[in-house]
Amino acid sequence: MNHYGRREFLKFGAALPLALRSLDLRAATAPSTKVPPKRIIFICNSLGFYKPNFFPTKRGDFSTSPYLKEMTTREKMTVFQNLFHPGMETSNHDSEKSFLTGASSPEAANFVNTISLDQILAREMGGDTRFPFLSFSIYDRGWGCSWNNRGVAIPPMHDEGQIFDRLFGEEDLTAKRRQIENDQHVVQCLYRDMEQLKPRGGDPSKIDSYRIVIAELEEQLRHEEFWLKTKKPEVPNTLSTDQEFAFSAKIRNLFELSKLSFQTDSTRVITLSLDWIYGAIKVPGATGGWHTLSHHAGKADALAKLSRIEVDIVKHLNQFLSELDQIEEGEGTLLDHTTVVIGSNFGDSSNHTCNNLPTIVAGGGYRHQAHTVLEKPTPLCNLYLELLHKHNIDAGGFGSNTNDLGLLAG
Amino acid sequence: MRLHKVVRTLRFVALACFSIGTSAGVAEAVEDHVFEILENYCFDCHDDASKKGEFNLEKLLDEGNFDGSLMFENLLTGKMPPAKKDQPDTKEKRAVLDWLAKRKAANAPNSFRRISRHEFVHSVNDLLGTNLDVAAHIPEDRGTNDFDSNRKIQLSREMIGSYFSVADEILNHAFPAGGIPAEKTWVTNKVKDSHETYNIYLRPYLEGILFSWTRANNGNSYSFFYDNFDPPVAGWYELTFDAMKVAEFEEDVSLQVYAGKYYYADDRPQPQRLVGVISLGNRELKSYTIRAFLKPGENVSVHCYSRHTFRKKAPKEGAYIKQLTARGPVVDEWPPASYKMVFGDLPVEGEPREALETQGVQTNLQKVGGTLTVSSFQEGMEKEKMQDGSNRTFWHTRFQPTVAEPPHYVILENPHGAEIEGLSYATWSGGNGNGQVKGYAIHLSEDRKSWGEPIVEGALEIRLANEQPILFPRMTTSRYIKFLVTDALSLDGKSLASIGKLDVLTPLADQLETSTITVASRSSKDLQRVIRRFAERAFSSELSEEELAPYFRVGLRRFEDDSDFVQAAKVGLKAIICSPRFLLAPGEHAKRSYAKAADLARMLWLSVPDEELLDLAASEDLTGGTLRAQIHRMLGDERSHRMVRSFSDQWLNLRLLNKVPPSLKLYPEYDDLLNHYLPIEPRAYLHHLIQENLPAGKLIDSDFSFLNQRLARHYGIEGVIGQEMRKVRFPPEVPRGGLLTMGSVLKVTTDGFDTSPILRGAWISKNIVGTPLSPPPESVPALEPDHGEATTLREQIDQHKSNKSCYACHKSIDPYGFALESFDATGEWRGKYKIKQAHRGTFQYRQAGYFTWGGPVDASGELGEDKFEDIFGLKKLLLAGEHKVAYNFAKKYFEYANGYEPGLEHRLSLWDLIARSPGDVKMRDLLTEVLVYSLTTDEE
Repeated sequence: MNHYGRREFLKFGAALPLALRSLDLRAATAPSTKVPPKRIIFICNSLGFYKPNFFPTKRGDFSTSPYLKEMTTREKMTVFQNLFHPGMETSNHDSEKSFLTGASSPEAANFVNTISLDQILAREMGGDTRFPFLSFSIYDRGWGCSWNNRGVAIPPMHDEGQIFDRLFGEEDLTAKRRQIENDQHVVQCLYRDMEQLKPRGGDPSKIDSYRIVIAELEEQLRHEEFWLKTKKPEVPNTLSTDQEFAFSAKIRNLFELSKLSFQTDSTRVITLSLDWIYGAIKVPGATGGWHTLSHHAGKADALAKLSRIEVDIVKHLNQFLSELDQIEEGEGTLLDHTTVVIGSNFGDSSNHTCNNLPTIVAGGGYRHQAHTVLEKPTPLCNLYLELLHKHNIDAGGFGSNTNDLGLLAG
Repeated sequence: MRLHKVVRTLRFVALACFSIGTSAGVAEAVEDHVFEILENYCFDCHDDASKKGEFNLEKLLDEGNFDGSLMFENLLTGKMPPAKKDQPDTKEKRAVLDWLAKRKAANAPNSFRRISRHEFVHSVNDLLGTNLDVAAHIPEDRGTNDFDSNRKIQLSREMIGSYFSVADEILNHAFPAGGIPAEKTWVTNKVKDSHETYNIYLRPYLEGILFSWTRANNGNSYSFFYDNFDPPVAGWYELTFDAMKVAEFEEDVSLQVYAGKYYYADDRPQPQRLVGVISLGNRELKSYTIRAFLKPGENVSVHCYSRHTFRKKAPKEGAYIKQLTARGPVVDEWPPASYKMVFGDLPVEGEPREALETQGVQTNLQKVGGTLTVSSFQEGMEKEKMQDGSNRTFWHTRFQPTVAEPPHYVILENPHGAEIEGLSYATWSGGNGNGQVKGYAIHLSEDRKSWGEPIVEGALEIRLANEQPILFPRMTTSRYIKFLVTDALSLDGKSLASIGKLDVLTPLADQLETSTITVASRSSKDLQRVIRRFAERAFSSELSEEELAPYFRVGLRRFEDDSDFVQAAKVGLKAIICSPRFLLAPGEHAKRSYAKAADLARMLWLSVPDEELLDLAASEDLTGGTLRAQIHRMLGDERSHRMVRSFSDQWLNLRLLNKVPPSLKLYPEYDDLLNHYLPIEPRAYLHHLIQENLPAGKLIDSDFSFLNQRLARHYGIEGVIGQEMRKVRFPPEVPRGGLLTMGSVLKVTTDGFDTSPILRGAWISKNIVGTPLSPPPESVPALEPDHGEATTLREQIDQHKSNKSCYACHKSIDPYGFALESFDATGEWRGKYKIKQAHRGTFQYRQAGYFTWGGPVDASGELGEDKFEDIFGLKKLLLAGEHKVAYNFAKKYFEYANGYEPGLEHRLSLWDLIARSPGDVKMRDLLTEVLVYSLTTDEE
């Protein structure tokens, strides 16, 4: 069990350069009263939601949305209508790459992504926790919602058992300390080699690209070293092992792990990408290819099955939100200190169009509006910019934003 | 000659840009000439007025900035101008192609790439003499790119972090710090208990067990787990089955061997993986050995398969296994090969390796000299049954002639006061479950009289087949430990208790014998020699002292710590395999010839060069005939299978094969065994085409393939007995042969329910014919198979014809898919469609499935002017364009090898390679020439 811990730690997104700086700051300016920290999670349902079932037909009345009428945290959420990403009016499944970055034309052959919103947030909010951010997906696919400052994909974690182990599993601390020390020497060795490579006529772009990732790894080793001093939280394993509805159980587990991570303050920034374009899955009441069904072309039987899948996802989301809302923290609940953003890169995946993206913001202690219908198509990045501001990040702009519209201000 | 206005306009623009100067003048003259040719041969159909096929060349030329690759491809491969029109002569054609290639200077690919996770793991294994399959421990990094080698993929911190940790993993396997565990042998003929529903499909037979084939009600392959073999450490184990076929029928019975954790005594799928298949044709006992990499916590399970023995209760036919003999962890040489590979001639000192035999079972309680007593027992279900290594036998409290009164308990005696950490309990779950323990309390005593308060109480799972540990709050050395049953399952209201296994947990039992190996050197010079040797192989270069200094330093630093030579060398080795010289390609090479050797090894072996290649690189002899001879030699080496697998998996999209489980309602015969062999067929086939240097047309059609009993049955081919893959010749009426009609390829284009001619057509266009596809226009609803309605898809597709903008592209996509309609979503031949039927209540697997037959398949279509009736007709049409198929293969292989799509200039050269060859294009020659071209194209 232990030898997975370290390997997985290194394998996936965990630490960021600013981590240590923030820790020093915290020590110097230790607050006298404990204010619950802010957390944020972005969930991308990459095949979207069938719009007539998602948006309330009567403005502000959740009972007119077949999907949202069962939500128990209705007073702590806002559904946004008419958001879009400029430059992505229509796209293939690559549009998911831009869900959290807003970069245009993700399907283009020479596309290079930009930094995703969660990574900007993690840079500022991630330093105080063992994991500056976490990124989850349903299967091993190499990319999800999180992209680093060079637009390179951060591979998400997908194995629930391994994630649980990394977060809460026991570690052989002596072995790990020795390992980190060893790796630090290896890193120094590599720096020395790089120093002599360039003058010898090595390809500068190649060496520079390598130097950047080694520097990032070095920071991560320091972050890991710091956290050796703190014991991991002890948490009972509450993950579902249901094999009949394995897909459904997987989604539940990723939500459960997100909840546990926030609850134990193991991280404050999470992304979760939900997709499956490879054939049949089974959820209560339906078996079918999620992707195939998403191209329903308005046919009743396809829609009936598709809604079962979407209802299942909304059910897990609802459970996640209400559980966060039941955990008391400070003056309110964990949900009040956690911004939950649920959205998609597709407005209508049946036609592969990206206008009117289904978007919900829940929790976070905002004055929620239940249902905000924007008069004209508005860049989703405006909302993203506002979220940066809400988390005290004075960003000049983000992606395709035009301005902070104060959508969550009330 | 009519001089067109577009040409005039463009010439004007050109003049404005390149005011004066000879080169501009030349460019202008070339352009004039090209426009003239285009005007003569293209504008008839593709001008402003006609814009046939929605292609208005006149407008494009007018605008100036257009992507000419489609035009280039059509002209190059002779698709345009159409055969019935006037054709440009060779010179004219070449002029246009050259112009197109030059005007669209390809986006220069990155000058380097990272090595993929597969290349990393193979290289490190080859450098260390290990064989660990750990690529999955590095995250998938290909994203949506077609090939792992794509130069667009950049290193991330997460990726480099996983290279660091996988480097540790392999190095620790090669040189374990705690020594090498003793080899042990286990012999067992007991299987763990399973759900009562499945216990009827096996029975005691002679000295072992006879298995018949079953599948759980939900369709999972039901396998039986062997007891009394728990791998103590991760490593390679040899699993020997003494087995035979018990049946009169002609076909072999197969034995699928899995490794995994055993969790559930019911029909839920166990998380396990197939480690080998044994084909039983023998009617006398025979030993079969397979190798598997096992980890602690895993067990070995078997699933017997034969179409004749499905769910035969108390089977008379099936696979008889006398016993399983497991041996390991296996080390083939002593000292292990890794020491020789890395430390060369240095004296390696190792204790002789212990080999221990575990015959039968010794429980921990027996090891500490303990015994147990029980409150009561039923005859035939005595206390010894808890200690016999099987939970198919069990202890049961007395129920006849009278029912024993509670309390029910077991007392374990620990006579020598051994340290006991807890108990290990396993349920007996095979029967109706009566008496299974639900609640317990543990009491301790020194005198067996005064027991005091329980030290721990708890609940146990009743349907969990695996051992359930009961940990004590603290270690105890008490003489007596009482396991008191506080609650048990009772189906008849009686007070009962039953236990399959009960044992103590003690640290003594876990101690492993190990043998340590050291390198007898205290010399830092020796350490530097070891590091140098390894670095020169890993970096494929000669290296100066100065260059090696950082690597020496990191190793020597560790050496100073505790003088452990091997551990110090490991640090140096780790730095080497995490170095940019190793992880980025091309690396840093003293000579261009070394880079060539490294490229070759990566392209053909996914690895590093061997000594022969390095020697040729050192003497700069990797050119011309020698280079070709080396490619030939490397293709003949075992390691070339990696390339064939990697290339075919990526080219044919076969990595997605297991993402789609076929519907068991429609395809009830689909099973794990078929799933295992499907992707092996294209690999074996492609490898054969290359080795035998057969014509590229064989990619499309041939009269043979590589099959075994299972695949042959899937294809309806008689007389193939046994599961080993072999070349099978087909009579002419068989539609197989060639890649298109392989089950794997036919399956990967479906969603597991039904087939889509559009997706299959697009797959052939892209991967075989090489027609570039543009994405569908906006706001056109996509058509995908509509499960349940069997006849509408073709009609929907026919709508493509009525819409001009759809038809422009789909007329050259869909027809390929029509021909493949004769094959269902698993690749089986069909004359009619299946229509899925509902089942009542919960799905219950049945061999007949749940479907009725619908309308007949229409596999006809037309490609341009050419009509075909079925797959035979389509293959003929494709074969007529054999050069095109070879050309597409060359392009794909170029992309695979170089990490970027060939630009138009590259394509011209690739086309020339093919056009040059008289007669058939041969596969090995083609592959060789693509590699030679790749390796020499950027040489100044």
